[in-house]
Amino acid sequence: MSSRKKTLLKVIILGDSGVGKTSLMQQFVNNKFSHQYKATIGADFLTKEMLIEDKNVTIQLWDTAGQERFQSLGVAFYRGADCCVLVYDVTNSKSFENLSSWKDEFLIQANVKNPDNFPFVILGNKIDLEENKRAITTKKALSLCESLGNIPYFETSAKENVNIEVAFDIVARNALQQELENDAEFNEDYSDAINIHINGEQSGCAC
Amino acid sequence: MDEDYDVIVLGTGLTECILSGLLSVEGKKVLHIDRQDHYGGESASLNLTQLYAKFKPSKKPDPKLGRDRDWCVDLIPKFLMSKGELTNILVHTDVTRYIEFKQIFGSYVYRSGRIAKVPANEIEAIKSSLMGIFEKRRMKRFLEFMASYKEEDIQTHQGLDLDQNTMDDVFYKFGLETGTKDFIGHSMALYSNDDYLTKPARESFDRIMLYLQSVARYGRSPYIYPLYGLGELPQGFARLSAIYGGTYMLDTPIDEILYDEAGKFTGVKSGNGVARAPIVIGDPTYFPEKVNKTGQKVIRAMCILDHPIPAAPDVDSLQIIIPQSQVDRKNDIYIAFVGSSHNVCAKGYYLAIVSTIIETDRPHIELEPAMKLLGSTVDVLMGISELYEPKSDGTNDNVFISKSYDASSHFETTTDDVKDIYFRVTGQPLVLKKREPIEEEDR
Repeated sequence: MSSRKKTLLKVIILGDSGVGKTSLMQQFVNNKFSHQYKATIGADFLTKEMLIEDKNVTIQLWDTAGQERFQSLGVAFYRGADCCVLVYDVTNSKSFENLSSWKDEFLIQANVKNPDNFPFVILGNKIDLEENKRAITTKKALSLCESLGNIPYFETSAKENVNIEVAFDIVARNALQQELENDAEFNEDYSDAINIHINGEQSGCAC
Repeated sequence: MDEDYDVIVLGTGLTECILSGLLSVEGKKVLHIDRQDHYGGESASLNLTQLYAKFKPSKKPDPKLGRDRDWCVDLIPKFLMSKGELTNILVHTDVTRYIEFKQIFGSYVYRSGRIAKVPANEIEAIKSSLMGIFEKRRMKRFLEFMASYKEEDIQTHQGLDLDQNTMDDVFYKFGLETGTKDFIGHSMALYSNDDYLTKPARESFDRIMLYLQSVARYGRSPYIYPLYGLGELPQGFARLSAIYGGTYMLDTPIDEILYDEAGKFTGVKSGNGVARAPIVIGDPTYFPEKVNKTGQKVIRAMCILDHPIPAAPDVDSLQIIIPQSQVDRKNDIYIAFVGSSHNVCAKGYYLAIVSTIIETDRPHIELEPAMKLLGSTVDVLMGISELYEPKSDGTNDNVFISKSYDASSHFETTTDDVKDIYFRVTGQPLVLKKREPIEEEDR
């Protein structure tokens, strides 16, 4: 593993607009929840240090920045992801039905080496809302997750911080495993990418 | 879509995406549309399926070339000068956080049927096979003049006035031979013809300076290149725009562009939706009636190779410039060569993109000298692009149109166009500011 890249795990969060992708990230990383829905302005990616099996990892969560609204996420967004979190809103059956399309879209765009083994995690968010608003039963969700290849499933509330830690712990573990497998496969690759910020940061340098 | 915006942008080419990003950061409400289902417009990088669909629709890519998405073939072959303006914009907007860059290994020039590395400093000049022993000394003196020149210190001007003397005068002063002038003018100042010789030396001086400073930054060549191809650049700036509230709609055809009675832009219609804004920015393909042909056509040949360039077998990426005088032409021929180490093709393969401004009615024959340098090819895909420019500056109709990407080997003319459009749209010159962190995002 190249030393420059330490253990940085890229995780992307997909799902229909309004299911709570940004809120989940914010709750997990900053323990914050905002009632205001703004179609994601300002979030880029959030990072959090985690200890997974005695290993320090940095998990980098990429927000869709609203580009999912009109199916306009570019291929660059998907590149190099180590785990993909698929989110739906338990009160919105459309967002549930779209989960498998998001999974397919991810696999097409991300160009992963082993599509059958790539780690996904599915989150059913907004379980804090009243029971009578619920459109998708746990049973139905579990059966979909099974049919999509035994994808781990959690029901979460970004608002009340339910199941967030435990869900992202699995996300991080699976991402780490994916990263290690990829590295084993491509250990002959070395990246000598350059840092174009060198010099550029020294303001006032008129050389 | 049925909303009011401050600016509508049509086409997701690099010029449009940079402008979209800059305007969104300033708080403008931007709607950005592309009729195609991928980012990049005329400056996209294509995967194999997209590439063959565009250039060889009758042929399917050979399965041995591997996975479709291992390939990112640039439609416009260019490199970034590491001290150039695009690098500057990338750093200031922090779009560098989405894109990784690598050096291009070398910059070469063609002379008498062979290629040689362009010397970029006094030490390389001494070693270069391009010059004889006495010429090397003259070249060294020229480079020392470049390095020590200070505008305010007339002693360092050595009697030359960059605004009065022509570049030919400067070459004469140092006694440089034609062949040396050729590689300085074409592979360092990066002019594609000899018109610069009779113009004031200032611009040539600045261009050579940019070259030398760019080489000095990372050492091997003046160029850097994004992993996964140039198509990453528009996508990075589109993400910047989206993070600051820009709305993105790919795969969205524009059915009608709407104007008021005075002919001023008011909005666009797509399907049943109408989006309104006082200003539109777009590439020439969205406004065919508002652009002129420049008269220049560029041929670009995308060559798939399964070996490096025979004359530089240890080099994974390079630029070769074939100066016009070497092959009896008016315009230089460029070769941009990258491979799997820049993640633009499957392992074991390379991409060489050969381009020039067309001078005859048999343009593919014009590329012969370059093709000879490449050796055997797995496949060659060719395209010819007509270059367009807007008929007017947009002040009458609020339609601000970008220029086609030219034949030059770098992005300096692209960023000139960005700055020019920015000025016309906002009335202010572009001043790059460091992107402020928003919320608690963390590097």
